Amino acid sequence: MTATAERPSTTIFKRPKSTTGIWSWITTVDHKRIGIMYGYAAFFFFLVGGVEALLLRIHLAQANSEFLTAGAYNALFTMHGTTMIFLFVMPVSAAFINYMLPLLIGARDVAFPRLNALSWWIFVFGGIFLYSTFIFGTSLAPVGSDGIGGIDGNIAPGGGPGALNFFADSPDGGWFGYQPNAGPLYSAGTAMDFWALGLQILGLASLIASVNFIVTVFNMRAKGMRLLRMPVFAWMSTVTSFLLLFSLPIIAVALFMVTFDRQFGTLFFNATGGGDPILWQHLFWLFGHPEVYILILPAMGIVSEVLPVFSKKPLFGYSAVVFAGAAIAFLGFGVWAHHMFASGVTPVAQAAFGLATMTIAIPTGIKIFNWLGTMWMGKIRLSTPMLFAIGFVAMFTIGGLSGVTHAVVPSDWQQTDTYYIVAHFHYVLFGGAIFGLFSGLYYWFPKLTGRVMSERMGKLHFWLFMIGFNLTFAPMHWLGLQGMVRRTWKYAPETGLEPWNFAVTIGAFIIALGVLVFMYNWYVSKRRGEPSGLDPWDARTIEWTIPNPTPEYNFATAPVVSRLDHFWHLKYDEDDEGRPVRKPDADKVVADLEYDGLNPSQPIHLPAPSYFPVLMALGIPIIAYGIIYHEALWGKLAIAAGAIISLSALIGWGIEPLEEPMEAHEEELDLAPAGAADVIEEGDAGGEEQSGD
Amino acid sequence: MSDHAHPTPAQYWKIAVVLAVLTAIEVGLYYIDRELGLGALNAVLLLILAVTKFIIVVGWYMHLRFESSFLNRFFTAGFVLALSLYAIVLGLLGVLVIRGGG
Amino acid sequence: MTDLAHEPDVGHHDEHESTGIENRKLGMWVFLSSEFLFFGALISNYLLYSNRGGFAAPYPAEVYDIPFTSVSSFVLLMSSLTMVLAHNALSRDDQNGARTWLFATAALGSVFLGGQVFEFTDFIVEFGMTLSTNPAASAFYVLTGFHGLHVALGVIMLLSLWGISRRQNGLSEKQGLNLELVGLYWHFVDIIWIVIFTVVYLLSLPPT
Repeated sequence: MTATAERPSTTIFKRPKSTTGIWSWITTVDHKRIGIMYGYAAFFFFLVGGVEALLLRIHLAQANSEFLTAGAYNALFTMHGTTMIFLFVMPVSAAFINYMLPLLIGARDVAFPRLNALSWWIFVFGGIFLYSTFIFGTSLAPVGSDGIGGIDGNIAPGGGPGALNFFADSPDGGWFGYQPNAGPLYSAGTAMDFWALGLQILGLASLIASVNFIVTVFNMRAKGMRLLRMPVFAWMSTVTSFLLLFSLPIIAVALFMVTFDRQFGTLFFNATGGGDPILWQHLFWLFGHPEVYILILPAMGIVSEVLPVFSKKPLFGYSAVVFAGAAIAFLGFGVWAHHMFASGVTPVAQAAFGLATMTIAIPTGIKIFNWLGTMWMGKIRLSTPMLFAIGFVAMFTIGGLSGVTHAVVPSDWQQTDTYYIVAHFHYVLFGGAIFGLFSGLYYWFPKLTGRVMSERMGKLHFWLFMIGFNLTFAPMHWLGLQGMVRRTWKYAPETGLEPWNFAVTIGAFIIALGVLVFMYNWYVSKRRGEPSGLDPWDARTIEWTIPNPTPEYNFATAPVVSRLDHFWHLKYDEDDEGRPVRKPDADKVVADLEYDGLNPSQPIHLPAPSYFPVLMALGIPIIAYGIIYHEALWGKLAIAAGAIISLSALIGWGIEPLEEPMEAHEEELDLAPAGAADVIEEGDAGGEEQSGD
Repeated sequence: MSDHAHPTPAQYWKIAVVLAVLTAIEVGLYYIDRELGLGALNAVLLLILAVTKFIIVVGWYMHLRFESSFLNRFFTAGFVLALSLYAIVLGLLGVLVIRGGG
Repeated sequence: MTDLAHEPDVGHHDEHESTGIENRKLGMWVFLSSEFLFFGALISNYLLYSNRGGFAAPYPAEVYDIPFTSVSSFVLLMSSLTMVLAHNALSRDDQNGARTWLFATAALGSVFLGGQVFEFTDFIVEFGMTLSTNPAASAFYVLTGFHGLHVALGVIMLLSLWGISRRQNGLSEKQGLNLELVGLYWHFVDIIWIVIFTVVYLLSLPPT
């Protein structure tokens, strides 16, 4: 055990110190590195979810197809949805928020760097745990009333007839896990336990992150960065965090109830025992509806950043866009039963929820018109980020319009459980969220790498997506209205649905091609892309006032902000007609920013790396495995072991010297000893490397 | 830590006595209702007592009464949101009806 | 090295646009706000099922031992007093007093937990009311179980603070903030019990 003169000697481990190599990534608390890791992990799951989709589409291209067994089909659509929502869109949004939020508000890191790392590790372990279902999960025939398998109408063990059965032992109760179908009787085996516990773990990661981001935004803004001067993406991140904060506890309870039903014999959703299946729907959608706004708002924030830059105009109606985002979130808590119009809720409830759902179109419409107003009469540059942002506006509008048709209750009874709904949510989630996220990737790529992505390949990617995406999802509107039912293994040739299904599958493969182009572009541009310089896009907000790639300390000196679009106004004045006129010294301003950004004049303290986040996170999936296998002795031991690991890590964390978290940031510059302009990590305070211990 | 406007230990003790008395009244009401059958009045009184204890602990022990209004509004928002959402759910599930329904 | 000891929580929180509330304190209040949604769902579960008749007996409301639960509720309520006295002692730099009251809080919390364990055991053994008896029982056990888990975590945190204080001969002002945070958490767990005691125990009647 080591003690230094300046710290209480209660450290249990020697603080990790490395800045390179894998341990530096495992122990990092730097928001940028955490963001990068989130991004790569999320993209990996995007590919997995995409493969799942392609398998579904190969199957559905033909009527009466037996490419997949029914068991595999159910598992694939369950895992596709679960993966895309919880393992792709949410974490990639987290990647953006992690990396960009501190930069957008002029901070050196988030409020709780170690907690940030904890969220990341819990997410990773949660994702691995969920996907370990492919190895360990079992999906058995439902339990009959005599306790033996074989209820009518369900799939025999092994998935039934068909060629590809590989995934049949995975969660197959839909991403929404309706009870009692996904409960212990009808989804016997462990697959749905992996689903429920996996989602539980992932939800915990997001809840922790939301607390972090809220405190960051309210407490860590640079001087002059009033709330209504923050970039819109910072605002949307905040609103999203509120949605997460208040909706995740609800699904946490619901998932505990399912897990307890499945593992410990409670009767929450057991119909014969007295449980109420509708309760599950309420609890799930109380979370599930805010969840879809969680999925879309960060992407809307990105679009609100990109459109002004590439229109050379300020965002039209900044305050309205901000308040509309908040309104969408607030109203979003009040409409959950619109997912239940066909579940037997009373007519009064249906009317109320239908009406409430329609009101969300108002703030959404405000945003759309304001985006259009931003572009109107602007000097448009159709670079790749802009293409995706415009694509977002168009595609999301289409998806939003079909959404409004769902709000009309009798119309929804027709659409529910058909492909019309599938079309709607893919238009808003893919055409909306995913297009927006790609726009952000192209836009902020220079911040990570100091280079720009290839425009040629970017445009190719965009057009492959536009064509492929629309070919895939537009036909689903009429396929649905013609009666093609969701979540159903086969459709008969007499229905006449096959030709368009075939076209849809072609579209899906065109999307896949676009993804490959993107991946190649990313790989090549990282290595050989054109250097970006400080300000490749002639941007407006302060994350572009620091060098690319982002220095470890972000801002060499804490920025002072005087107005909205502060950076823009450093470079541009306005003429009498309100048009921007570049200041004569704008280039010098940019060059000075670059120089100053790379050469901090005083030593900068950064939060030190730590083992405890990864250790604490490790205990959680161990507990989860223990719960699934709790009947065995080793399962019980696993629960205890996991709890002990996490608790010990928590206590160690609490003991770990307090000097290092964000307290030792920024404004401490005047307290730091004058000296060489190097970056000191708080963990080095003791001096030389100590051996042993 | 804000050191101003903190109650003194003596005041904390007094508050504890108030809380204990309120609890005693609650328990007393429970038995009175069992004997006399107060009906809806019982529920109303018990809820008032519970809310009073709640406010006292939050306001004085958690110090929210003396904290910034930002915290106040935040905490209240969570509470109000929970109350509203679950009241609607329970209403939709037929629980929140005048006794006799469901 | 920077002398960061004289400010309770060094940083930029006391500046311009910030809220003026320390990061960790704001974080704890934010987290606690979300817990309303968590316990609200569990309490709603109970309210839903405790009223639905026709399923296997016994229902929780049929087996409550109100005098017993009243005493344990009182114990938990008093632990809020000892908690706030610990915080108060620390603010006057009375480290010994803080330690004593911390320990007292943990002790009272443990007594409460012991009472819960006793109560549950009694329900199971004497009345045969288990998790699987009926949904109301499921809801009761899961609600009070999660509450108990929260209390247990609180006790662990209290004892950790107590242990650290003993080892270091007192808590620094920054660690004092941690005590305040644990206090907020502890009071929150108490107010949830205030609601549970009234709504789940006192107001709950078995279905007719």
